[in-house]
Amino acid sequence: MFYISAASTISHQPTFQNAGFSGMIVPLAAESILISPDYKRFIEAGLLRRMSKILRMSVACSKDCLEQAGVEQPDAIVVGTGLGCLQDTEKFLNHSITIEGLLPPTSFIQSTHNTMAGQISLSIGNHGYNMTHTQNSLSFEHALQDAMLLLTEGENDILAGAADEYIEILTEISCHLNVYPRSPLTSAASFFLLSSKEKSGTLAQIKDVATFGLVNSIPDTILALLAENETNADALDLVLFAGNISNDLTIAGVDPDKSLDYKNLSGIYPTASAFALHYAVDRMQQDKSIRNVLICNALIKSNLGLTLLQAIEA
Amino acid sequence: MGVRITGIGIVSAIGLTVEENLNALNESRTGIGQVAFLDAGRDLLVGEVKVSNTDLKNTLSVGAGNISRTSLLGLKAAREAWGQNKHSEKIRTGIISATSVGGMDRTEVFYKDYLAQSDPNFRLLKTHDSGSTTERIAAELGISGYINTLSTACSSSANAIMLGARLLLQGRLDRVLVGGSDALTKFTIDGFHSLMIYDDQWCRPFDESRSGLNLGEGAAFLLLESEKSIEFSGNRTICHVSGWANAADAYHQTASSPEGTGATLAIKNAIKKSGKSLNEISYVNAHGTGTKNNDLSESVALKNVFGDYVPPFSSTKAFTGHTLAAAGAIEAVFSVLSIQNQLIYSNLNFKDVIFETGLVPVTDLKKGQSVHTVLSNSFGFGGNNSSLVFTDHL
Repeated sequence: MFYISAASTISHQPTFQNAGFSGMIVPLAAESILISPDYKRFIEAGLLRRMSKILRMSVACSKDCLEQAGVEQPDAIVVGTGLGCLQDTEKFLNHSITIEGLLPPTSFIQSTHNTMAGQISLSIGNHGYNMTHTQNSLSFEHALQDAMLLLTEGENDILAGAADEYIEILTEISCHLNVYPRSPLTSAASFFLLSSKEKSGTLAQIKDVATFGLVNSIPDTILALLAENETNADALDLVLFAGNISNDLTIAGVDPDKSLDYKNLSGIYPTASAFALHYAVDRMQQDKSIRNVLICNALIKSNLGLTLLQAIEA
Repeated sequence: MGVRITGIGIVSAIGLTVEENLNALNESRTGIGQVAFLDAGRDLLVGEVKVSNTDLKNTLSVGAGNISRTSLLGLKAAREAWGQNKHSEKIRTGIISATSVGGMDRTEVFYKDYLAQSDPNFRLLKTHDSGSTTERIAAELGISGYINTLSTACSSSANAIMLGARLLLQGRLDRVLVGGSDALTKFTIDGFHSLMIYDDQWCRPFDESRSGLNLGEGAAFLLLESEKSIEFSGNRTICHVSGWANAADAYHQTASSPEGTGATLAIKNAIKKSGKSLNEISYVNAHGTGTKNNDLSESVALKNVFGDYVPPFSSTKAFTGHTLAAAGAIEAVFSVLSIQNQLIYSNLNFKDVIFETGLVPVTDLKKGQSVHTVLSNSFGFGGNNSSLVFTDHL
């Protein structure tokens, strides 16, 4: 079994260190901004100055998550990111094209996708398995699956999460590519401690996580996953989805009254399904009648991510 | 424990096929030379794949549309590894690729025009994200379902091989194509220059006078199959992936620890996982980038693990250049070829031992060696260290 022992999210919503946030948040307004905690509580000042948004969010969430769970060292650190460290990538790309001669290396060093996982391991002195998945909208699900493989292989506590950051050029790019998102483009990070055993503060359990690249039929894929887990659409108390798949959900037998488009809450970023997971877990703590939750991530419609959650037995 | 390898494919500075790569290794012929295909804005030594994008597109029959060089190189190697295999609904087939730059080669073209405000083509950005490079390869090969991309800098494709093996052993997939691809870009060339670890001369792995790396580009893939998949395909097993480990150095964002902490853990745990004893390792294909820091740290790690009995070892980076995310898979193919052909490759450009460690790599090609078990190291930026063990038997 796979248990979620702790969760931490920094986003455009008041999610950080705010249990019960799911009951108080409303859909994001167009001009929403990232709600940053006092990072100095988590990151040493000298280091903090050099860190981009995505790195600050990732390290702070990771430390918060480990603190909540009372775990000093996880057995592994697994991160998913769709677009990686955009701020530093753009900065170095700019330098590389505009500056003649020797360039400052910091933005290059911090441009690689594995910078988050690397900085987390550095900040806590962790020598375990360290991995970064980057499969656009399915990056987080792939990270979760990897964590579950590790737990099956005998590890006990895995720090798994996702992060993506917004930079201004993204808005310009989406206009030019004729993509006019109905929700704002946002930045966020979410980290979770996944454990092989139930603990006193366990929040929920993950029944299954599956990814389908270049997916054929979304309804058939959902039904097959539910059947494999010996459940069905009627048993679902909450379905969180992203992407234009309301019809697919109806065909799969999902009650529209129980489904909710999470990108209205999270905004749009490649790993927004990590926000959905934290939101689901938080809802389950507030409302004990929510026992079975499915997250359907079709942010990019050719790629489907499915995450099935179950409440802990009382 | 271990999984079967039934197909390999590679494209690198020393050749466009497995056969061409093997010939160059057999002749100790480097593929590093003056930059010719990329507009890098400076003279430098690189391990370029000696084909233009246009010729690659024609060879691969992918049309003239927008596709990154990373996808083109990856597709070339993936097709060779996939061979004549067929799809079946009963066999769950996945693909895991690795890249550090993704479609950065196209993004650079866009961004230059964007800064100059000279009608930038925004559509070029559709190939920017790393995941899209893998999706393109998957689509061309008819693979759907498990499509994943890993990015852990210079150890990326070693991790793709490791993850593929784990997915097969846990029965999540029956067959998986694993590897990596990276094209040369101005971004990475300028990046390694900014770190002052790009050598303007030939890179000299494990040599006392070494002063940096030469970047390369390329791709390699391996086809891993379960017993069930083999029953369907009838494929012959050419080698096994028998051991793997991944460890974090947690020392510095770019530099490796002088004690080789992460590297030692990766090597030790991979060998332990393979069930082989230290003296059964016939050859070590080292990471050996030619930087002061890596080669010292890796040498220390080898001594930590093997003591006074370090097996024959060499770095093949002086053949291919450092191909970043593709390096682990390219060197995995070299490891398989080493076992298949009983070869231990020459560590080109070596003259003097590193003062602190005194380790001497293999300096002349050794033929007719008894090579049954090969250790391959891949150590990355950000402290991502991975080691793999390949064997001709389980």
